[in-house]
Amino acid sequence: MSRVTVVGSGASALHFAQSALERGHEVTMLDVGRTKPEPVRPDDGFRELKRGLDDPAAYFLGDDFSGMLWPGAPGEYYGFPPHKRVLFRGHERFVVEARGFEPLSSFARGGLAEAWTGGAFPFNDQELADWPIGYRDLEPYYGRVAERIGIGGADDDLARFLPVHAHLGAPLDLDEHSRRLLEGYARKRAAINGLGVWLGRSRTATLAADTGDRRGCTYLGRCLWGCPRDALYTPVLTLHALLRHECFRYRSGVYVTHFEADDGGRVRKVHCATEAGGREAHDVEWLALGAGTLSTARIFLESLARVAGEAPELGGLMDNRQILLPFVNLGMLARPYDPATYQYHNLALGLEAQPAKEYVHGLITTLKTALIHPIAQSVPFDLKSSIQVFRNVHAALGILNVNLHDDRRGANSVALERSGDAGRLVVHYAPSADEPARVARALKTLKRALRKLGCIAPPGMQHTRPMGASVHYAGTLPMSTERRPLTASPDCVSHDFDNLLLVDGSTFPFLPAKNLTFTLMANAARVADRVL
Amino acid sequence: MADALERECRIFCRLLAGREPTDYVRTKYRAAHAAGVVEPTGGASSFERGVVALARRSTLLARALDARARILAPASLLRRKLVLLLAILECAPETEADVDSVTHASRAGLFLHLVALGLGFALLFAAGFVVAPLAFVAGGSES
Repeated sequence: MSRVTVVGSGASALHFAQSALERGHEVTMLDVGRTKPEPVRPDDGFRELKRGLDDPAAYFLGDDFSGMLWPGAPGEYYGFPPHKRVLFRGHERFVVEARGFEPLSSFARGGLAEAWTGGAFPFNDQELADWPIGYRDLEPYYGRVAERIGIGGADDDLARFLPVHAHLGAPLDLDEHSRRLLEGYARKRAAINGLGVWLGRSRTATLAADTGDRRGCTYLGRCLWGCPRDALYTPVLTLHALLRHECFRYRSGVYVTHFEADDGGRVRKVHCATEAGGREAHDVEWLALGAGTLSTARIFLESLARVAGEAPELGGLMDNRQILLPFVNLGMLARPYDPATYQYHNLALGLEAQPAKEYVHGLITTLKTALIHPIAQSVPFDLKSSIQVFRNVHAALGILNVNLHDDRRGANSVALERSGDAGRLVVHYAPSADEPARVARALKTLKRALRKLGCIAPPGMQHTRPMGASVHYAGTLPMSTERRPLTASPDCVSHDFDNLLLVDGSTFPFLPAKNLTFTLMANAARVADRVL
Repeated sequence: MADALERECRIFCRLLAGREPTDYVRTKYRAAHAAGVVEPTGGASSFERGVVALARRSTLLARALDARARILAPASLLRRKLVLLLAILECAPETEADVDSVTHASRAGLFLHLVALGLGFALLFAAGFVVAPLAFVAGGSES
């Protein structure tokens, strides 16, 4: 039995820890570990919640109205729920200066995936072509993670892009708008496939029925504000389960600053700053960094810098470019919407590409219970007229979230500038030169596919999210079969330190267009099995 | 000033929801102003305050000035106040349906309504454009 120290409590760290515990090891998890508020009135549906709360505006907009999306303010089509802000609250020691990149980080229990939308899409062999492992290596772990967290989906047209793994459960019920889109696709399938576009059920980490201790989705319509029934998986559910394990120790309230290695290249200690302003150190047998690509880079660079006086630059930072493409389904005009439905993406689409790894992935979210003031104010009329328009087109609105792949480029880097005790992370990012052309090509085809589905994408409404916004960061310490500095083995053991495991997205050598969280969890479970 | 805010809330609520504001809506509208979040960054100009002072005189004036602001000053104080009120109305169970329920049974009826709204918006914009200079006077008398 080994003693394993894990840094962070995000999706990767927790699934690595769970696998390590299952293999009989002792795990200590070090984490800042802020907690999010408990859900209010967990059995209420969306409209019952409004009626039941003493102050519904405080819940939906915040006590200080920080959930408002004001005219002219940069923002998107959804207001961000005020009580989720704790997930993105910074840390005074984690200072980032970024150019061309808008980084998000989390110091909450469960990490960034506490705010995810549950998209669980396995990478296929084409997308893993630049990795030293293939789908066959990950497949058992996709199945294992699917069994742990509950993933719904279907073996449909999207299986050509999304391999069907073990323990794929039943999908959720469709809302009317999504059902009509799928019916439209069935009628126009040949023509749409002729564009290189395939449509099908999304893969979501949301339980359609009660499973074990967890309850299935009852369509409360509150997904955007955080599933109050935990039908939508978030990593903190795994943390709660691990806390009951006798070999698991959770030390929250600590910020890992660096680790210390001996001359033989083995990590011996990990050092933390405590919330109370003190310091503590933990002896290490195995150290697993799972704090997320940027935090892991900071810890790694700080550790090198404390020995050598300075740290190298880590190249290859990746993230998915996302474009939000709103559309109107003409067949849904002047129809009411049903709030008692699943609010995130029920459908997904794939646009094939050459080479195949440059596949474009889309998530289709039909609009139901989102706040309306952010959207109504963007209608090009006075507000009274805009409301009259909006209430009759509400059920017809949807957003296609288009995701593009990214690859490692040396100039997209993370470096550490040290000043005194704390360092500042400096991030540089520039998109690839061909990105505008790829975006234009993809959007042109996807708009044609939408038209065949009876939808129009109003001109000028698409929104290109800044790099960093998708929070799919990866690639700074990539897996490599060659033993080179600043890389990791195919089993994610650092090539610089023999007992250092890199279990988050840092080691991904290529980033497909799909949300990476499912692969983060599967790969972390694989690493625990392979190394420990 | 409290009376002006009260009147403003009433006029704007009639405009957006077609009804008088409930006590809850009034309270939240006042609370947002007291919290200092309604003013745009850097503060509103005296002209913007004048536009609001004019708008609180009648729903028709408010609508015309909003049509003008939508095109010429989309982030102005008047727009911020109206969007704030819409956000409060959509959160309150008593008024949610006033701003978020279907009003047309057929797509043909909706299409005609959209055409009418477009034409109406053009007229409102023109009216707002004509009356907006009065805001210089209204702003002065307000201060």
